[in-house]
Amino acid sequence: MRTFRLVLATLMGATSLVAISLTSSIAASASSATALATCKTTINNQEFTKGKLTVGTDNPVYTPWFVNNKPSNGKGFESALTYAIAGELGVSKSNVVWVYEPFDNSYTPGPKKFDFDINEISYTAQRAEAVTFSESYYDVTQSIVALKGSVVAKEHTPAELKTYLYGDQIGTTGLAYIYDHIHPTQQTRVYSTLDEAVLALQTKQINAIVVDTPDGQYMATSEVENAKKQADGVQVGQFPSTGEHYGLLFTKGNPLVGCVNVAISALRANGTLAALTAKWLDIYTSVPVIKP
Amino acid sequence: MSDVVLQLDQVVKRFGDNEVLSGVSLTLHRHEVVCLIGASGSGKSTLLRCANLLESIDAGTITLFGQSLNDERIDPDLVRRHIGMVFQSFNLFPHLSVLENILLGPVRALKRDREEVHAEALALLERIGLRERADDFPDRLSGGQQQRVAIVRSLAMRPALLLLDEVTSALDPTLVGEVLDLLRDLAANGTTMLIATHEMNFARDVARQVAYLDRGVLVEQGTPEEIFTRPRHESTRTFLERVR
Amino acid sequence: MSLDTDESSSTPNLFAPRYKRVFTGRNGLAVSIVSSVALIGVLVALFFWAPGSATVRYYYFNGHYMWQSFVGHPKTGLLSVGKGFLTNIWMCLLCEVLILILGLGVAWIRVSRSPLLAPFRVLATAYTDVFRGVPLLLVVFLVGFGLPALGLGVLSSQSPDVYGCVALTITYVAYVAEVFRAGIYSVPNGQILAARSLGLTHGTIMRRVTLPQAVRTVIPPLLNDFISLQKDTALVSVLGAIEAVRAAQIYESTVFNGSGLVVASLLFLAITIPLTRFTDRLLDQDRRRRLASLS
Repeated sequence: MRTFRLVLATLMGATSLVAISLTSSIAASASSATALATCKTTINNQEFTKGKLTVGTDNPVYTPWFVNNKPSNGKGFESALTYAIAGELGVSKSNVVWVYEPFDNSYTPGPKKFDFDINEISYTAQRAEAVTFSESYYDVTQSIVALKGSVVAKEHTPAELKTYLYGDQIGTTGLAYIYDHIHPTQQTRVYSTLDEAVLALQTKQINAIVVDTPDGQYMATSEVENAKKQADGVQVGQFPSTGEHYGLLFTKGNPLVGCVNVAISALRANGTLAALTAKWLDIYTSVPVIKP
Repeated sequence: MSDVVLQLDQVVKRFGDNEVLSGVSLTLHRHEVVCLIGASGSGKSTLLRCANLLESIDAGTITLFGQSLNDERIDPDLVRRHIGMVFQSFNLFPHLSVLENILLGPVRALKRDREEVHAEALALLERIGLRERADDFPDRLSGGQQQRVAIVRSLAMRPALLLLDEVTSALDPTLVGEVLDLLRDLAANGTTMLIATHEMNFARDVARQVAYLDRGVLVEQGTPEEIFTRPRHESTRTFLERVR
Repeated sequence: MSLDTDESSSTPNLFAPRYKRVFTGRNGLAVSIVSSVALIGVLVALFFWAPGSATVRYYYFNGHYMWQSFVGHPKTGLLSVGKGFLTNIWMCLLCEVLILILGLGVAWIRVSRSPLLAPFRVLATAYTDVFRGVPLLLVVFLVGFGLPALGLGVLSSQSPDVYGCVALTITYVAYVAEVFRAGIYSVPNGQILAARSLGLTHGTIMRRVTLPQAVRTVIPPLLNDFISLQKDTALVSVLGAIEAVRAAQIYESTVFNGSGLVVASLLFLAITIPLTRFTDRLLDQDRRRRLASLS
């Protein structure tokens, strides 16, 4: 009888342990599921416009983040990601509203006219003092773009990199990378938009541009053109990671970031984030790494 | 050498549809003073401006020293160096001193030696009693003083004749006298002059010939005595009556 | 209606209504004091007690950041707004000299009547029409990106400062030429007649009579254009050059404080305000002289 009671107790203990761990893991996924479910109701009070998800981005916007400068077509990494997040939060495609926010304005302090901005905005501690970032949705490196056959394409040791004339868009992490890591001897040209930097590269006023690797890939193969409209750029190489990552940008203290983070975690857990990354951003992995 | 300095033959001048001078003929002899009288708009100023080629003529001829000025080889700038003109509104150059005003023509147009002209200019100013104002600017001078400087400015070019366009009409009555005195002086010295004026007494004193213009037509010409006391034409009489 | 004067026996009312009397006479000083205090009070209140006031003061009027932006921070590579402003200054001075010379040249061509210059007159007119119509920013772009694109050797390999100066010069000459032209036309015709009566050639008249007066007359509008030019030098930043405004923008995008922009503004004001006051004084003097000569 004692043995039986012992076995029964062990069995019960084991069963309950299993039950507890089972329920806790079910509870875990249930809690994220519950969290999502809760979010679907709470976000209604946190949205900029109730019932709609208002998303800000720049104009024009480029491949691979968006396609054909139409954020609403769901194509491109950031467009697809936005609709995926909306889906997780129970917001239908037709309730996603896009608004224009120039890159330079997005990270300045003050209330914003959108729920979040998605525009390859890198998290920096300084920007985080003025605005709130979601968790990372993409880890990014910087790369160099130059003209095909130019001396930069062939000679790019750290010492040689210092001698070139760079141009970049104001306020970008690319420009910061030039100042912080390359330390060129000639004063860098700073343009209001990336288009102007590309134009300067094409007209040989500058030797190279430093830009996020996916952007650089698109720039080199599609944007930089010679007089005969042929692709004239080359992505010389990417720099080692500095821990830079993109986050969605919110007005400082906006509580909506909580639910959006939950949505991003869900997408990461169910593999959607990896799939989108592979679909739209796969190419960059083949770019050689060079040192600054 | 001929005695005739300036000759106008049947000169016609139109401004658009308006015929301002209708076949005017006039002769000016050396040392002669001819006065033009007539109402405003009668064409006196236009006649003077045609005489020194500031205006072109539409018909007729103008002859200076026997040389026709209609010839297209004529350089108007050269012609005007021989004909002095003084205007109703003096037109002194405000950015130059009195002395510089006088020097400008002889030094820049006639290319004369500056030192020489300087001495002559001072002498001329002395003659009109304004030597100590030589370095003043025109805005410091009275109207009468400015006009006398303007006359001297033209004289410095040593012109063959002087054209004077109502030179006292813009002056305060008290200042008219000093200018007329200067002109009397010049006349007495034999300066050839064609003077458009409203000053009838002056004209009577100084002119060898007086010509009356009415709406572009030279109605009557004669000695002062003939014109002022025995005008032959109705319009001359009417005009003289009104200005009395 | 008869032209007789008013024969009525009663005296007309000569007193101003009471509400007007508050503002005149002995009350004048009191009224101006109250008015000034009220206006200043409203502005101060807005500045200090508006809801966003503390943020605005921290973001734009912050002493520490203003100083740092002015001197720059070599270690972090932050550029100095003060040094950037030197670019604005030298560009302004150099371009102004070119603009005055070329502007006078274009004006001269436009007022000439020689048949030899006929085609140039047409060109000059077309030029002033076009470049007074195209916005300066567009000209900066077209010159700064277009010339290099043409690949014309020396023309295409200049620094953005040079292209900026070219664009500024091309545009401002069109305006300044018109200013000079107006000045030339403002010289009273009587003087031209007198000068021609002296037998002076056209060229001599222009040099000795017309231009000395025309230039004196147009100094105030030319000064206005100069002040305007000083501010427009900031546009060279679109070509990538670093001048005061761009340096301030870079500073802002790096430290997230806009005080650098206020510093840049103050630097511009330091130059333009004395010039504006001086221009006003000249205008006053000129006005007094002209009115005196009329009376």
